[in-house]
Amino acid sequence: MAACGLFRSLSSNFFTVLPLLTRSVPRSPLRLASTPYFGRTLATSSRLSAALKFTDKHEWIRVEDDGIGTVGISKFAQEALGDVVYCGLPEVGTQLAQQDEFGALESVKAASELYSPLTGEVVEVNTLLADNPGLVNKSCYKDGWLMKMTIGNPKELDALMDEAAYERYIRSIED
Amino acid sequence: MRGVRPVVEVVRLGLVSYPEAVRLQQVYVDRHRHQSGPAHALLLCQHPPVYTTGLRQAPYPAALLDRLRLLGAAVHRTNRGGLITFHGPGQLVCYPVLHLAGFKKSVRWYVCELEKTIVSVCSRFGIEASTSPHTGVWVGDNKICAIGIHCGRYITSHGLALNCNTDMSWFGHIVPCGIEGKGVTSLSAELQRDVSVEEAIPHLLDAFGERFDCRLTDAQTEPDSGGSSA
Repeated sequence: MAACGLFRSLSSNFFTVLPLLTRSVPRSPLRLASTPYFGRTLATSSRLSAALKFTDKHEWIRVEDDGIGTVGISKFAQEALGDVVYCGLPEVGTQLAQQDEFGALESVKAASELYSPLTGEVVEVNTLLADNPGLVNKSCYKDGWLMKMTIGNPKELDALMDEAAYERYIRSIED
Repeated sequence: MRGVRPVVEVVRLGLVSYPEAVRLQQVYVDRHRHQSGPAHALLLCQHPPVYTTGLRQAPYPAALLDRLRLLGAAVHRTNRGGLITFHGPGQLVCYPVLHLAGFKKSVRWYVCELEKTIVSVCSRFGIEASTSPHTGVWVGDNKICAIGIHCGRYITSHGLALNCNTDMSWFGHIVPCGIEGKGVTSLSAELQRDVSVEEAIPHLLDAFGERFDCRLTDAQTEPDSGGSSA
């Protein structure tokens, strides 16, 4: 399935994603990067990557069709953590402001805080992580999602990085 | 600034209660958040007998913690990584409050460097220590140093605890760090002579400065005076 192929490339290398997008839609990369919800005009299989926005603390949020945001951490983040052994996640119903601490991930005897990408309410947490915290490492963009939240203030999405900007940000950190 | 070694201020707290050390770490964490420029600190202390648990609280219900209190130890839950451990006199406790932006923005790297620092300290004492998939520093099957840290916005807190001449019997009441079938040891136990916290501190500071490629200064002296690590 094309969608599965996209997940694999998401989990392995960002650079494979953008070429896929430009292949499926006759737009220049610049226009793609500047349109927030361009996911709706692209093929179904590429909406997942199209809607990912990133924070400078390496969380991502993906806006689903129903306006709910799925939140997780990036490949860069899971590599920097090491093997995740425990996910401390919030209660459903928790109200979060943008940048509020919403939980912590434990790896190598280190507890690392998680920060909310947006303002909203927690509507679901990934219960699979209780028994399988390693999903955060193995599938950080798909099965290792952390929580889902409402989007109280959609304008906040504008301040987040799109994939290209996040890639540049990672490179600047690694230098 | 590339090429400039970060400066880390050594703060010697002596014997302090666990809650007091937590409060002091927060002061240094806040210093990172509120001042521009680096404000790395390395807190050194010993604690009166205390058991602490980490982020994962489920394995340690209140009843278990109450039983530990009856032994005469304090008990505190914390937000660090790692499971249950013991701190007490004779154990060198070190809390680096670093901003990882001044070093490397990876918690996995940081913990690994802490482990290597302690392996180096042991080596200076002629003890062959090693790391394993279980975070911490081991001499054979016995843990000589526990590690458990917290990181928020790249600022670290909590740290490591190296057994110098700790009364090891306190560990008998817990499964240290949740690892069954392994024991604990200390510098004194390995060398069959008394090794105090005071004797270990200069070795720890040397090894830390080398491993993290930083300049250690004493809180009591001016940063420009050469920073004695003794």
